[in-house]
Amino acid sequence: MRIAVSAIEKAYATVQAVRGVSFTIEPGEIFALLGPNGAGKSSIIRMLVGMTLPDTGTIQVEYQQQRYNHIPRRQLGYLPEDRGLYPDKSVEKNLLYLAQLHGLSKATAQQQMSHWLEIFELTERRHEDLKQLSKGNQQKVQLIAAVIHRPAVVILDEPFSGLDPLNQEKVVAFLKELRQQGMTVILSAHQMAMVEKLADRMLLMAKGKVVLAGTLAEIRLQAQPKQVVLIETEQTVSEDSLASVLADEHWQWQSSHSFSVTLANSTDLTHCLQRVLGSFTVRAVTMQAADLHQLYVSAMAEHQQGSAA
Amino acid sequence: MISKQSLIVAKWEFLRFFKWKQQLISYLLMVLVMAAVVAWSFFVDESRHQYRIAVPAHFTLENTEQFQFQRPTITLEEQLAQLKSTETWHAVVSEEAEAIVVHTLSGKKWQQTLDSELQKYFRQVYGQSQGLSAAQLATLEEPVTLEMRYLDDNYKGSDRPEKMIAIGLLFLLLIGLSTAFGQLLMSITGEKQQRVTEQLFAIVTPQQWIDGKVLGHSLSAMKAMFTTSLVIVLSTVITLLFIADKPVDFTWLNWAVIAWLVPFALAGLLLCACFMAAIAASIDDPNTSGKGVVMMVTWLPLLFTYLVIDSPTGFGMTLLSWLPLTSFAAMPVRLAMVELAWWQPLLSLLLLLGTLYWLRRLAGRIFLRGMQMYGKEPSWGDIMRWALSNKTE
Repeated sequence: MRIAVSAIEKAYATVQAVRGVSFTIEPGEIFALLGPNGAGKSSIIRMLVGMTLPDTGTIQVEYQQQRYNHIPRRQLGYLPEDRGLYPDKSVEKNLLYLAQLHGLSKATAQQQMSHWLEIFELTERRHEDLKQLSKGNQQKVQLIAAVIHRPAVVILDEPFSGLDPLNQEKVVAFLKELRQQGMTVILSAHQMAMVEKLADRMLLMAKGKVVLAGTLAEIRLQAQPKQVVLIETEQTVSEDSLASVLADEHWQWQSSHSFSVTLANSTDLTHCLQRVLGSFTVRAVTMQAADLHQLYVSAMAEHQQGSAA
Repeated sequence: MISKQSLIVAKWEFLRFFKWKQQLISYLLMVLVMAAVVAWSFFVDESRHQYRIAVPAHFTLENTEQFQFQRPTITLEEQLAQLKSTETWHAVVSEEAEAIVVHTLSGKKWQQTLDSELQKYFRQVYGQSQGLSAAQLATLEEPVTLEMRYLDDNYKGSDRPEKMIAIGLLFLLLIGLSTAFGQLLMSITGEKQQRVTEQLFAIVTPQQWIDGKVLGHSLSAMKAMFTTSLVIVLSTVITLLFIADKPVDFTWLNWAVIAWLVPFALAGLLLCACFMAAIAASIDDPNTSGKGVVMMVTWLPLLFTYLVIDSPTGFGMTLLSWLPLTSFAAMPVRLAMVELAWWQPLLSLLLLLGTLYWLRRLAGRIFLRGMQMYGKEPSWGDIMRWALSNKTE
């Protein structure tokens, strides 16, 4: 299933929630929507689900040579931001009901339910009411409800919320498994470390606009076009020696045995290293890449500054 | 007509409120409450006691099971002193210039019976003083028998069992509507508050969803009507056999009317449930919203029908039995009380079903938009606009 979103806008009574957002999602990839509260992620998700329509712009979903203006219900698994199951019904009843609504026969629904409950170690709790489960376990049941019918696309709004680190890792493994099975996964999250491990491509949003988009490498390039390399040496380095060796470079002395150089592009790295190796014995060279969290924070800060200006 | 998804939703909604254990307990509690009322009534029943009444010597009152009239020779003051201090008398009757006075310590229910006995006695005394014979007195005591004879052969009469059936039908419909009202309000607003709405929205269309909800809760209401009927029938049988010691006779029941009641009641409940579901979908918080009261509009057909129940052949009842929004209540009542040609209830039912189909679509449109709103309640203007739009997806 290929999803192409083109210049969509969505306004509510007093708020412009989405402003000219475009992106594509390819079949079988994990696509992440990132942004602070009110960035417009949930509005986009609701439009993809078909709960609301964009005011302007288009959403085109291609599936088996058919075109839709939202993801077809039968091919969609959805985990809403505000969890939606029946707390006074058992885990089993909740899952079987939703699976049958998705079109599964009772036998298939039971088979699928048993499979997923086993994976999430909830088999023994299947007869308990949902409200008796911890928040984390309720979250797992909700995840099962989203994939029990093996849809082509799964949309997960904040799938890591309420989970401890161990269970967050389990969800990461679960989502990778979904990708391996060929499902397209669209998720929104605040846990950058998790998203970094998972997402093939991502969209960073603020106040309804796209701030950064692409793969992690592409986002790094957009957010941090200049690379920083940390060089450690065997012998002592002084600021004077650096000034003579790297006269036309942007360098920074770090310690008696290390310094960093900011490079404009990758060809500069070869040039820089040749000059350094001519004067020092190099013990280690480390590319200082910012993680997604740092990129996210700096991008948001830049965006806020830009908006203020 | 109705999708598989709607049937799954209907089954879920029906079973959600189908709790036999709780229902049996509630019926048991109801029986216990009734038993307590009967026991209390028996315990405080004054008619089983015998009361000693002092009357003047010339009163020729005869003793009854409840009252023993005695004519003491002591003075009135002495009688009153005995009344106050001892258990000799329960009441002392004296004669004054313009009235007969009954002296007692305080007001009791049995004194109403004593009043009737004294009234009866004095009617006889005054009759005799006027020279009336015993036969003439008896004629005066007997009320005139008025018999109504109706020339319209279709009218079955107003004081026959048919009226009881008609009132029973309205009562059962009230039970059904109350059940649907409570369950729909709780189910729809509860799902909105627990955010089940978004989950279901991604699986089924709003029309499939409302169809399922309306069908499930209407069947639940039918079940409530059936169990209430069963409880009434069983109570009647038990009362007749074990308390009144009379044979059970249900020959007066009109099975044809009951057969017509089922489709009319189900269609009527579906119609009302569509309306109630649409309104409930527009409620954000049932604790603060005033819209829930509007759902009670669905009780008006029952009230209007009850107001014209004594004129089943009149214009009012005829009109109500044909109007699709009221026919579910009026036509079964009319059928119970008037002999109608077969095509009349059939045509009325078809009109009702047509309106149901239209209202179902309209409710689907309101349901769609209402379910999408969080934290803000739509105005009546919004609701009207949604109802008149063509948007169902």
